[in-house]
Amino acid sequence: MSLEDRDIVVKMTGITKYFPGVLALDNVDLSIKKGEVLALLGENGAGKSTLMRILYGMYRPDGGQIKVNGQVVNVGSPKDAMELGIGMIHQHFTLVPVHSVVENVALGAITDPKRSFSMEETANEIEKLGQTYGLEVDPFAIVNQLPVEMQQRVEILKALYRGARVLIMDEPTAVLTPQSTEMLFNFIRDFRKAGNSVIFISHKLNEVMEIADRIVVLRSGRVIGEIPREKASEQELAQMMVGHELGEIKLRAESQAVVSKAEPILRIENLKVKGNLGHWAVDSLDLEIFAGEIHGIAGVSGNGQDELTEALYGLRPVSEGSISLKGTPLTNCKTRDIIDLGVGYIPADRHREGLVLDMSVEENLVLKGFDLSPFSQKGILQEGSIRQYATQVIESYAIKTPTPDTPVRYLSGGNQQKIVIAREVAVAKYLLIAAQPTRGLDIGSTDYVHQMLLRARNEGKGVLLISTELSEILSLSDRISVIYRGRILKTIDRRDVNIDEIGLLMMGVTSEQ
Amino acid sequence: MRSDRHILLTLFPVYSVIVGLFLSGLMMLFLGQNPLIVYRDILVFAFRDIYNIADIFAKAVPLIFTGLAFGFAYRASLFNIGAQGQFYMGCLASVSCSLYLSFLPKPLLLSICLLSSLIIGGLWGSLIGYAKARFNANEFLLSLMSTYVAIAIMNFLIRGPLIEAKGEYPQTDVIAQSAWIPLLIPHTRMHMGLILALLVAAAVYFILWKTTLGYKIRAVGMNRNAARFAGIDEKKIFVSVFFISGAFAGLAGFTEVNGIQHMLVQGFNPMIGTEGIGIAILGNTHPFGIVMSALLFGALKVGGALAVQVSNISSSFLGIMEGFVMLSVIISYFVRQRIMSMLEKRRLQEESKVKAL
Repeated sequence: MSLEDRDIVVKMTGITKYFPGVLALDNVDLSIKKGEVLALLGENGAGKSTLMRILYGMYRPDGGQIKVNGQVVNVGSPKDAMELGIGMIHQHFTLVPVHSVVENVALGAITDPKRSFSMEETANEIEKLGQTYGLEVDPFAIVNQLPVEMQQRVEILKALYRGARVLIMDEPTAVLTPQSTEMLFNFIRDFRKAGNSVIFISHKLNEVMEIADRIVVLRSGRVIGEIPREKASEQELAQMMVGHELGEIKLRAESQAVVSKAEPILRIENLKVKGNLGHWAVDSLDLEIFAGEIHGIAGVSGNGQDELTEALYGLRPVSEGSISLKGTPLTNCKTRDIIDLGVGYIPADRHREGLVLDMSVEENLVLKGFDLSPFSQKGILQEGSIRQYATQVIESYAIKTPTPDTPVRYLSGGNQQKIVIAREVAVAKYLLIAAQPTRGLDIGSTDYVHQMLLRARNEGKGVLLISTELSEILSLSDRISVIYRGRILKTIDRRDVNIDEIGLLMMGVTSEQ
Repeated sequence: MRSDRHILLTLFPVYSVIVGLFLSGLMMLFLGQNPLIVYRDILVFAFRDIYNIADIFAKAVPLIFTGLAFGFAYRASLFNIGAQGQFYMGCLASVSCSLYLSFLPKPLLLSICLLSSLIIGGLWGSLIGYAKARFNANEFLLSLMSTYVAIAIMNFLIRGPLIEAKGEYPQTDVIAQSAWIPLLIPHTRMHMGLILALLVAAAVYFILWKTTLGYKIRAVGMNRNAARFAGIDEKKIFVSVFFISGAFAGLAGFTEVNGIQHMLVQGFNPMIGTEGIGIAILGNTHPFGIVMSALLFGALKVGGALAVQVSNISSSFLGIMEGFVMLSVIISYFVRQRIMSMLEKRRLQEESKVKAL
């Protein structure tokens, strides 16, 4: 063991994790030192939570090794993790709401059946711990009567009671007010001072800058960079999180700019849509898209993009406001009708939403038209017409597949995406919605997708491009709107773009502030 | 290479039958029997004469229906494990029509019996689909519980309005000959219901792979999200799939009452729904596979029933044997999933290696 290694509490090497259809973590290395606050930064789906769940024994890695204090360990369950001194505070608390604080803390901590359990003793210990770390809480209070920040304290106390020396906190500030956030940070500082370590998962840059000693950025299951806090800047971190160096981007597409601004193809007014948690994911959003433009929506993921597109496509109820396509109302229409009106949609997750992987190439190509002539007649599929159409599309889009009969599962990502695009471009008579259309694709396929979007625009369709890759937005869009917390903060013409301004807008910083 | 693997995986149910028979064989060894002799007896008896061979088909008919009932719903990723109840509802409908409309000419009477069992079984099933569509109820639990409700209805009707004239046993009178399904081979039990079962199996194939409805069912079954994004109304699919699935189980009621029993006895054929699940999985939820595995089960039943008479094995051992086969078939389904997921994992890792290069 080298001198340097002696300080390392946890060392994860080559961690790989696969979920059906995706590689969630690809050979990730991570180490945590004693007395350090390590921030794990990354967008939703970057792999932060997966990595931490592996460390906490909730998932088993498909490859790689975990060392705790220099020893190779096998973390098979959270129980193993706790025995190794690793605790985790989940985003959604894991407390029994109708039990008291003591009962919650004691739950699972009493491993020796011969030792008698004393409520008072435990309560005293909880109080002592609370005083040490400024986490005072009434041990006999019932959990569901406590406010959220107190419940979080109970979670923390639970981990401390079991002797956690490494504390994983999964977006702990998401539920907190600024004041309680400050108290939480005080705790983290005290905890660190005592020689313990904290892994702090977040995508809020300012918090990371405030509390972390070292920052690791994850993107698409890989470690993108590792910087000590002193050397990091918010801007640089934002760039690492969302994609390429912003400065390098060339503005590619020359705008055709024969945009008739008279009547927009798509008009969204005062749109309000609820997210899965019941909050306003899209909050009074206004947007207009014209024929012959690519309108880019820039923003860090999780700011209402998914809810917006789902509402546009009739997949999520609209609570307030209106959507119209060339004057025809689309608000709360059925998906089928929206498709028939000529709106195509390239969804963000092609495996989950865009393709039926176990169906064949030709079946996937007609996923939105199988019940229309000529692909079916009187409810009977016309295999001849489908085959003919598929053969033609496979050729014109150069889709590499052994046969039109091959299940899409066996095609490469780029060819899978070509199928989605071929289908959606055919559907999109007026409007094409493209959400993260190049996620996970190689350079060649990415370029192909970009060409297709430009072609759709040049044919006079409106294209709504949603991407967290700012470079993609900048290189393709005619106009750019920045979305933050479900609102469009600003819409900017491509010619007037100031990259720094967009970067800051994405973090919610407007120039007025 | 890949297609070789694929074939090996499709043959998985066959291995599992062998494993099931092997395990039953071990069990026989414990009971002091030579499994080879028992299996030889089963084979010999099952194919001894035309009567026994015909009986294999007769036994397979209801199993084809309940197998199709599970298999069809499974294609939409829905679990209909209530075929037993839908079967009883079909029995009740068919026996009621047979008893009360016996004055009608045979073709008309049989058509009415057929349709009533189909419709009542289908409606009983579609209640489950409706509850799933409307309230997002769990179709697994609902279909399971709906069987108990159907049993209660059956008990009530057979002890009440439908009880035999003597009023002694909980069973109906024998139905009039005009309601009997004609035999295919005289002096056996093989009746025209076999043709109906084969036609329905062919219809399932046609619906699933040649119609837009089948396309929707498969799309919903293989990726509910993508189907939703493509504007397919999954709720309608839930209801129609459960109607069709229930109708199949209901038809088993028609062929059992009018083809074999010629009456309805309270709580008869209590395993037919469960066996259908095993048969559907054994048959890869493909109509052809389901017909084949129903015939296998038919042969086990016919040969087994006679084989136990000449050996010292008790007849309840047949149930154990069936159980072993079903258990290993169902376990094999999960093993196969695991293997497929492992293959997929390997493929993804290879792909990412290629990318890294």
